Amino acid sequence: MSQTADHQLVARVVSGQDTRAFGELVRRHQSHVRNFLRKLTGDYTLADDLAQDCFMHAWDKLQTYSGKGSFIGWLLKVAYTTFLQSKRKSKRYGEILEQVGHATANDVPAYASQSEEVGDLERFLAVLTEEERAIMVMSYACGLSHREISESMGMPVGTVKSVIFRGKEKIRTSFDIEDHQHG
Amino acid sequence: MTSKIINMAEHIKDEKDRMLDSMFASEPIADDGFSAQIVKKVRRRIWLRRLALPVATLIGGLIAFKPMTEMVRVVAGLTTLIPEDILRVSDAVVPQLPMLVLGAMLLATILVGLRTLED
Repeated sequence: MSQTADHQLVARVVSGQDTRAFGELVRRHQSHVRNFLRKLTGDYTLADDLAQDCFMHAWDKLQTYSGKGSFIGWLLKVAYTTFLQSKRKSKRYGEILEQVGHATANDVPAYASQSEEVGDLERFLAVLTEEERAIMVMSYACGLSHREISESMGMPVGTVKSVIFRGKEKIRTSFDIEDHQHG
Repeated sequence: MTSKIINMAEHIKDEKDRMLDSMFASEPIADDGFSAQIVKKVRRRIWLRRLALPVATLIGGLIAFKPMTEMVRVVAGLTTLIPEDILRVSDAVVPQLPMLVLGAMLLATILVGLRTLED
């Protein structure tokens, strides 16, 4: 995905409120944003609603994008902020978090057994905190570099690395727990 | 040079990384009209913003019309209290006051109209 093309499209949107250019930006990045939010929420419909809100916020705030980092990094920052804002407001999110986000490692098999459709990834994501989940998804699902993630999340690169390390350790531990339980 | 080394280090993946890569991997999500829906929403929002000022002005004007006419009537009634000499002086200083007020109002309307068109 060419960053130059992204920057040109952003310039067209900011200078002339070009909705076609913005549509092109949405087409280019909708998959990453929706994928990020789907993995973050575990709810496809909710994630797509949030993705719509995210792009509307992006339209409003596009002039704040300095063009220094990657556009997808900036967009995922908007998506994460949208997710956090919505979570605070929505009671529904609270219910989902009770089931998914705040589940401890010991709760994982119980959560997983609630639905046969829940895959390995969802179970592993459930043991992570929200921030860890967002960073892991940005890194492994969206392919962002540590620098891009640090810009998105507003934290030093070193912290991003340690969060990823911690996330991997948590997943490894939960793997081991599973192995013992089933083994 | 340092950043290149850091980037290389990022790309060195262990078994856990490869396992996570495969777990997180997913097919790109098809657009299926998603972007068109967003563009439609954005265009609607632009139109709403463009219409907001003229509509607000119109509604404000309609609401203010009756009290304004009453106020003008009261002010006009007060002019009878002003001595004729003073009125003659003001006529001499500002000979076309109604024309000036009308011109200012017209200018303000044109400016607002132009700004709306520009947006």
